[in-house]
Amino acid sequence: MTHTRRQFIGTIGAATALIGAPSILRAQAQGTFRIGALCPVTGSGSPFGSGMQKMIIAAAEAVNAAGGAAGRKIEIVSEDTQTSPQAAVLAAKKLIDVNKVQAVLGTWSSGVSLAVVPLTNDANIILMNTSGAPALSVPPANAKGLSYRFQATNDRFGRAFAEICEKEGFKRPATMAFNNASGVGNTEGFRKAWEAKGHKVVESVVYEPNQPTYRSELQKVLAANPDVIVTGSYLADTTIIMREWYQSGQPVKWVMPGWAASPDLVKAVGPDVVEGIISVDSVSNENAPSYKAYDEAYRKATGQPGQSNVYAAMTWDMVHAVALAIEAANGTDMAAINAKIREVSNPAGQQVYTYAEAKEALKKGKINFEGASSVLDFDQYGDVTPDFGVFFIEGGQLNRRYVVKI
Amino acid sequence: MFYAQLLVNGLVQGLVIGLAALSITLVFGIARFPNAATGDFMTFGAYSALSAHKVTGSIAMGGLAAIIATGVISLLAYLAVFRRLAERSVVALLVASIGIAFFIRAVLGVAFGHSQQVFQVPLSRPYVFGSVRITPLDLQLALVALAALALVFAILYLTPIGRQMRAVADNRDLARVSGIRPDRVMIALWLLAGSVAGVAGMMLGIKTIVTPEFGWEMLLPAFTAAILGGIGSPVGAVVAGLILGVVQEVSTPLVGFTYKIALAFIIMLAVLLIRPRGLFGRVEGAR
Repeated sequence: MTHTRRQFIGTIGAATALIGAPSILRAQAQGTFRIGALCPVTGSGSPFGSGMQKMIIAAAEAVNAAGGAAGRKIEIVSEDTQTSPQAAVLAAKKLIDVNKVQAVLGTWSSGVSLAVVPLTNDANIILMNTSGAPALSVPPANAKGLSYRFQATNDRFGRAFAEICEKEGFKRPATMAFNNASGVGNTEGFRKAWEAKGHKVVESVVYEPNQPTYRSELQKVLAANPDVIVTGSYLADTTIIMREWYQSGQPVKWVMPGWAASPDLVKAVGPDVVEGIISVDSVSNENAPSYKAYDEAYRKATGQPGQSNVYAAMTWDMVHAVALAIEAANGTDMAAINAKIREVSNPAGQQVYTYAEAKEALKKGKINFEGASSVLDFDQYGDVTPDFGVFFIEGGQLNRRYVVKI
Repeated sequence: MFYAQLLVNGLVQGLVIGLAALSITLVFGIARFPNAATGDFMTFGAYSALSAHKVTGSIAMGGLAAIIATGVISLLAYLAVFRRLAERSVVALLVASIGIAFFIRAVLGVAFGHSQQVFQVPLSRPYVFGSVRITPLDLQLALVALAALALVFAILYLTPIGRQMRAVADNRDLARVSGIRPDRVMIALWLLAGSVAGVAGMMLGIKTIVTPEFGWEMLLPAFTAAILGGIGSPVGAVVAGLILGVVQEVSTPLVGFTYKIALAFIIMLAVLLIRPRGLFGRVEGAR
C-alpha cells in the first residue's frame, strides 16, 4: 500500500516536472507520429491480416531508418479487427481515444471499413483501406476526403472483365450477379465498359442468395446463346451454378472474380467442370523497384514470397504515402498532410520507389511515388487503379497468363 | 417448351420444400407446435449423409445414415426438451425449438467448420426429352423423395402406429380414452419427422452445398408450404411444396428472379384469404 502510494506520488512528481518543463514534453510529442495498424489478424481475413500488419511495421522501420518524416519517427500501434465490424469499431475507438493515433491503416473487407470510417471522419484523421465496395468512394463514407482505398473497386473489376473479353475475342457476353453491392457492382462495371466499346451484353441476370438451385437463372442466360458469362459471384453460389451449368451440357466460357473462382471452387466441383474458367484478381505492381523492396521485407518478416499476399503490398504502400505526405507538409497538421497525399503519389513529378529516395527527391521538387501494390495514383474519390492478373484454370491449377491494365 | 423446362426445375425444388414441410406439419398435427428446429434437423441429416458418403462412397449409405441419425437426434430433442414442456404453451415450445436449432447449428459449426462442403458425386449429362432436359441426378433424387413419401404415407395410413398417430392428431383426449398410449405415438412421431427432415436435408445437400446454416435458410419456404397446404395435413404439405416450387420457377420470365420468392408469399396470402384452412384442411388431413 505504502509502496503504491509512494509510486503514485512519484508519478505526480514526474508529471509536475514535465508540466514545469514544457520543452521536454513538446520534444516528445513532436518526436513521433502515431499510426494505428488495424488489420484482420483473426477471422476470415486471417490469411492476410498478420502479413498486412507486419508490412506496416516494416515500412515504418524503413521510414525511420531514413530519418523519419518531417523529423518525426513513425510509431505503430497494432490492433485486430477480427474481420468483424463490431470488433473493428472497438479497436478503432481505442486507437483513436487512448493511443491518439493520427491515421488508421489496413482495414480489410468492406463491412469493416464502412464501420470504421465514421470514427476516423469524426476524429478528422486518415483511414486507408483495402476494400471494394463502391460506397466507400462517396459521401457519407468519404464526405471529408480522408479515406483512401488501395484495392480496386468492384466497378474497376468490371472494367477489367471488359478488357479481358475483348482481348479473348468474345462477342456475346452475358452477366450473372449475386444481388448485393459488390456482385452487381462487378457486372454493372462490366456492362458500362463493354457498351462504351460499342458492344452489347446479350443477357443479364441478378440472382438471390441461398437458393436451392439456380437452374432457371442459368436457363435464361444460356437461352441467349452467350459465348461467355461474366459473373459478380461468391464461392457458395458459384459452386451450385457451375455444377448445374456443367450438367446442362451447353458450352460457354466464364470470367469470374478471383474470390469466386479460387482453388476452393476447384476442390468443390472438380477440375473437369472448371477447366478453362478465367479468374481475375488484382495483382501487385510486380516490376517496380518498390515491389522488390516490399518483397524483400515480406520474405524477411514471414518467410513467404510477397506475391502470396496482395494486401500486404497495399499496407506497405499506405505507410509510404502517409510518411511522404508528412514530409511534404513538413508538419503533423492533418489538413496539410491530407492535401499532400495525392501530390506525392500522383503524376507529374519524378518517379520514386523507396522512402529514402523519395525523401531526397522531395527536396528538389515534385515527386510521384510508385507503389508496390499499384502505381498508386489516387483519383478524386481516393481510389487507385491496380493491375489485374488473368488466371486460367487448367488441369485444376490457376495459371496466370497475362496482366491487364485499365 | 421453355415453360416445360421451368416446370421440371420447379418440381425438383418443390419436392425438397415438400419433404421439409411434411416434417413440420407432422409435428404440428400431433405435438401441436411449429418446430423451428426442422431446418437444422435437415442440416444434421446433410452432414450425417456427407460423413457416411465420405467413408463408404455410397449415396445409399449416406441416405441411410441421414434417416437414422436425424431420426435419433429428433427423438433426443423430444426426450430431453419437448416432452418436459408438453403441457406448456405453444410459444414455450416454439422458443425451445429455436434454442435446439441454435444448439445443433453451433455443434455442427464447431465439428465441421463453417466453410462449404459438397457431396463428391459424379456429374453427368442430362437426358433430353424433346427440348426438356432432366439430369439423372434429379431423377434419382425425385425417386428417393417419392419413395420417402410413399413410406411415410404407408406408415400413417396402413400401420397400427400410423392410425394411432392420426387418432392423436385428431383428438388427443379421445385417443387416450380409447387406450392409445401417447408416449409410443410421440416416439414414433419424432423418429418419423426427424427422418423425413434428414432425407430433405440430404437431397438439398446433394443438389447444393452444405454449410451449418443451409437448413435454417430453407425453413421459411418450408413453413410457407406447411401453412399453404393446411397445417397438419401431410398430403397438403407435399402438394403445397410442389406448387410453391413450380410457381416460383414458372413465374420468373414475368417477375424476374428477385421477386419470385415474394410471389410464393403472395400465393399463400391469397389462399389464406379465400380458404383460411389452407388447401387441405386439417380435418381431412388427419381423419
